[in-house]
Amino acid sequence: MYNNLDNLVIYNGYPVSIIAAVSFHCLVLAALIYFQANSRMDTLNLVQPTVVKALLIDVNPQVRNQQNLERQRLERLQQQRLAREQELRRQTEAELETAQAAAEERARQQAQERQRQLDADALRRQQQAENERQARLEAERARQEEERAQDEQTRLRQINQAREQERQRQQAAQELASTEFELVQSATALIQQLVQENWSRPPSARNGMRAILQIRMLPTGELVTASITESSGDVAFDRSAENAVYRAAPFRELQTLPINLFNRNFRILSLIFQPEDLLF
Amino acid sequence: MNELSPLQLILNASAAVQFVMLTLLLLSVVSWVMIAQRWLVLSAAKKGVKNFEHRFWSGMDLTQLYKEGTEMQRENMQIVGMENIFRAGFKEFMRLRRQESVHRDAVMEGAQRAMRVAYSREEEKLEKHLPFLATVGSVSPYIGLFGTVIGIMNSFIGLANQAQATLQVVAPGIAEALIATAMGLFAAIPAVVAYNKYSANVDNITGSYITFSDEFSSILHRQIHSD
Repeated sequence: MYNNLDNLVIYNGYPVSIIAAVSFHCLVLAALIYFQANSRMDTLNLVQPTVVKALLIDVNPQVRNQQNLERQRLERLQQQRLAREQELRRQTEAELETAQAAAEERARQQAQERQRQLDADALRRQQQAENERQARLEAERARQEEERAQDEQTRLRQINQAREQERQRQQAAQELASTEFELVQSATALIQQLVQENWSRPPSARNGMRAILQIRMLPTGELVTASITESSGDVAFDRSAENAVYRAAPFRELQTLPINLFNRNFRILSLIFQPEDLLF
Repeated sequence: MNELSPLQLILNASAAVQFVMLTLLLLSVVSWVMIAQRWLVLSAAKKGVKNFEHRFWSGMDLTQLYKEGTEMQRENMQIVGMENIFRAGFKEFMRLRRQESVHRDAVMEGAQRAMRVAYSREEEKLEKHLPFLATVGSVSPYIGLFGTVIGIMNSFIGLANQAQATLQVVAPGIAEALIATAMGLFAAIPAVVAYNKYSANVDNITGSYITFSDEFSSILHRQIHSD
């Protein structure tokens, strides 16, 4: 026979079904969230892709020259300082020697004079005075020595401080550069790609050939000049490189770079052309 | 942005993808409502068939059986499936037989017609909502795919604006887009399974209805020709 539950089901199947369906979905969603929260997403930790190395090696002579100049200047300063120190030491020594010599001379003259006139008592007194003066001179020299040592120390400290400051400055510059680095990197990659697309190598190209081209650009990305700075030895190869750059220009994307970045990296740019994928 | 959770992805998705996801969620909820409701109705119908057949073949007088049904109706209880067919046929048979002028064959014909009508009504009741389940089953994967295509399209458009393409740029977009496909499948799979199962059940039940109405009409036939 029928019971009440069946009756209810036939009449009101919908409310029960709706409740069942909604609670089922809530359950599924809750389970999803729960498992998601509990599972450690180690496998999904994205690895920072290594920067793709550009085929064109960017040797920027401006930057390198600046670095070289800086290094040379520092070396020169160091040398000058060393020379000055030595000079100073020599001078003080010479002064001391001459002073000593003069004093001795004087003493001898006086002694001779007095010897000529005076008795042994006077001579003894004279010698005593001489001794005193010598002691004074000795003290003077010690004092000078000490002063010099102090000077040396303060100078060393100053040098250390300067080095520390230099290091901090470089660190800050590096941090700045890491953001700039990406910009430069992408612009370099772009130039490289454009040039590569436009480079048709002559049949005479061989592996191991290498031509360096220096190009000058405007901030608008236009090419001013391109000249071979290091020939590969093959005229056709050099010309193909030159043609590639002329065909790829202008590099309009450089307009978006900040001007200081452009000046530092792209105003003068050296491109190395090197076929690496040839069979022979 | 290191921790990507599906919830975060859904909330951060583009409007089109979110719309697709919402549609799929609604479809899924509604199809589950239908699944539960059909399950209740079909299991009640199956039980009704078993109960009524038991009572019918227990040798009870048909008039008595009819009266029991009327009692139940008066108590506001629903009469399901097979009993409805029996009641329709028996009522028509009795009414026609009471009229002297009607021929035996016409009485039989009238009873059978009434049973056929009741049968179609019952079948209609059983098959209600099944086309909806079939539609959800076949369409929601396409809706999910649509969302995925739009999501991936968006993320590739974003990629085109980037000078240096990294995985991080496209990955969230593609993940978000794939959620749409997952939701489409989530809605479609239960719907297809339920549709197949329920249509088999409906065939089964309607088959037993047809058998019963044939048997019942043969009983009526015997009764009308024995007089």
